[in-house]
Amino acid sequence: MTRWRSPLTWPLTVRVPAAVAVLMILVATAMSTVILRRLTSDQEAHLSELAGAYLDGLSTAIAPAVLRQDVWEAFDALDRARGRYAGLTLRYAIVALPGRSVLASSDPRSFPVGDPVTAALAGRLDDRRQLVIDDAQKTALLHRPLLDSGTLIGHLIAEVDIAKLLQVRREVLRTLVLFNAGLALLFAVVGYAMTRRMVGPIKLLGVHVERLRGGRVEAIPQERLGDERTEFGRLFHRFNAMAAAIGEREALAQRLAGEEKVYLLGKLTSSMAHEVNNPLGGMVNAVDTLRKHGDDVDVRRRSLDLLERGLTGIRNVVRAALVTYKGGDQPDRLTHGDIDDLRYLVRHETVRRRIRLDWHNSLPATLQVDGAAVRQIVLNLLLNACAASPVGGCVRVAAARDGDSVRFEIGDEGPGLPPDMAALLGSASPEAPSAKVGLGLWTAARLLNRIGGTVAIRTAPGKGTTLAIVVPVTKGERLDAVA
Amino acid sequence: MSRHALPEELPPRTSRRRFLGAAAGVLLASPAAVARVAAPATFGLTPVFLDSDLELLTVLEQYLSESLGRDVALVKRRTYQEMTALLLSGQIDAAWICGFPYVQYRERLSLVAIPIHHGQGRYQSYIVVNANDPARSVEDLRGKIHAFSDPDSNSGFLVTRHLLATMGESPASFFSRTFYTYGHRNVIRAVAAGLAHSGSVDGYVWEVVAEIDPDLTRQTRVIRKSEWLGFPPVACNRNYESSANVRGLGHALLSMSDHPLGRRVLAMLRLDRFGAPDDALFDGIAAKYDFVRKQV
Repeated sequence: MTRWRSPLTWPLTVRVPAAVAVLMILVATAMSTVILRRLTSDQEAHLSELAGAYLDGLSTAIAPAVLRQDVWEAFDALDRARGRYAGLTLRYAIVALPGRSVLASSDPRSFPVGDPVTAALAGRLDDRRQLVIDDAQKTALLHRPLLDSGTLIGHLIAEVDIAKLLQVRREVLRTLVLFNAGLALLFAVVGYAMTRRMVGPIKLLGVHVERLRGGRVEAIPQERLGDERTEFGRLFHRFNAMAAAIGEREALAQRLAGEEKVYLLGKLTSSMAHEVNNPLGGMVNAVDTLRKHGDDVDVRRRSLDLLERGLTGIRNVVRAALVTYKGGDQPDRLTHGDIDDLRYLVRHETVRRRIRLDWHNSLPATLQVDGAAVRQIVLNLLLNACAASPVGGCVRVAAARDGDSVRFEIGDEGPGLPPDMAALLGSASPEAPSAKVGLGLWTAARLLNRIGGTVAIRTAPGKGTTLAIVVPVTKGERLDAVA
Repeated sequence: MSRHALPEELPPRTSRRRFLGAAAGVLLASPAAVARVAAPATFGLTPVFLDSDLELLTVLEQYLSESLGRDVALVKRRTYQEMTALLLSGQIDAAWICGFPYVQYRERLSLVAIPIHHGQGRYQSYIVVNANDPARSVEDLRGKIHAFSDPDSNSGFLVTRHLLATMGESPASFFSRTFYTYGHRNVIRAVAAGLAHSGSVDGYVWEVVAEIDPDLTRQTRVIRKSEWLGFPPVACNRNYESSANVRGLGHALLSMSDHPLGRRVLAMLRLDRFGAPDDALFDGIAAKYDFVRKQV
């Protein structure tokens, strides 16, 4: 079930027509009330006129018969008057004598000759009014005292069915309701169409702003820009100017990222030179020793061992650098060794700061993931962890397959990840790098987004940080991995 | 009201004739016979018995005028009493009256013609009740409201009055209330509407209405039919029975079935023809009148 949403959160295309319809209903209700009231008073006036004409005509015709107490003549007059007054639907008419006994009635069975006028009927008579309307009974009671030279000679009483009048009222009400409902609906539809047309540019702008938020800088197309003199035209032009500015900033950030890579490369180059240079002194000494005492088997063996160790170290460093920055033979794959090699790339940091690496790599031989991106992410986070950890601290790295994904955990003993860095890492569309947040972290966040990975951050001030990266393995690789 | 109802007044065009008729009546009393020759004939009708429409009056007037070769004015009065007065005072030549006024003034009136209905110059009086009324006999009507047609009507008053007299009752003692409608058809209407519980009505009229307006008579039920009595006759003042107008009218009535217009009139009245006067037909009514008169 959809939850009730406050009308203030409804789209404009609904709110405006709804408001118009509500307004229309209010106006229609007020109008209908006035019309019905007017109709009612008109009907009553008309009925009163008719009743007056009926009573006048009948009393003139009937007075002689009443004076003579002629039952038949009185009945005949009532009978003839019946139906002669269009608009008056008589239920019955009674001619009564002054003592209120029936002389004749149009309905002799209900009001027999000579019987007294029923108490119920007599109670409803009002001597001062010739017309008493009873909406509930749908009747009007007419009453006219019959006078001859000022002397009361009888009463003329009639009951009129006003169901038709009430029905007319109901029909008018129904027509009003139907017409006004139709009008309200029409207004709502027209309102919807107009609002939709008016809101269209806002929606277009909304779409572009949303794209911008998602990292796609896209200007509003020229054909939809409209005239700059209109409000939306101006707004669109400004948006496009802003989008252009953001695009430039984005490009600048990209360039900065490139420069960061060059900077890192420089750093790496120097550390590599350091790594290569370190064993070089010993190796030169070994060559010298071999030249001088090469005949001695023992010396020769020790010197060659030393040379081999030195050369192996150099080879590892070179290979890791090649794989990381030039891409391996298969960039869409990640090998077990690709992760292990990262140790060589951070060695200058670990050695410099006497950081112990707690390394657990349980990855299978190969995995179907973007190896280059994953290595770059783990390397950048590892460098960050080393930088964050205190001198002589420990950095934990664990890599393992976890169902359809690969999981990397990098933990340090640093002061904890600052909130803006954590926000950057967790963001779906990382902001451009700032002074506070390093390019390395920004690059890692962007790469992580690109390959559809997620990050879980466990950090507390002074208690270190553990970042858990989960990267989905490409489908179709599973069999390959099992096999 | 139904189109068969007779209007209260004749059409305006007849008012001049009525005036002339009245003038002729005055002249009739004078010995100046010459003046009487060209005078229009006057024929009286009451709505008590004759209950018909303008068409009937028009055709009847047209037929009588053609037959007599002079204008005939139809004179209408509401009651038999008024009509009888006109006859007795010589203001009209002849009138279609009831057997009861005839027997009341038998020595001053002469019969002109007797309507023949279903082969005879006699009819019955009916006592009718509302179709929903459980009454089976006259006794069941005791203490109820009764409608008479005319105090000078045989079928609409005298027959019932006589019946009650034989029971030792009078209308005032037997019924809670009575009233006159001055029309047999009105008696049927009053009973049908429930204004009266029962009514005394001319049997011939009831049968004719049953043919013309069955919806009305269906609301009533006949609970008593009287013996056969003399049909309401056409009568004239005995003093003028041999006047040209009276003889002309008598001839016109008796030969009605020979003329297309006359046949139309007879068809509308549901009569076979008009027959020759037969005074003995009214002995039954006379006997009732005598009985009632002696009781008073």
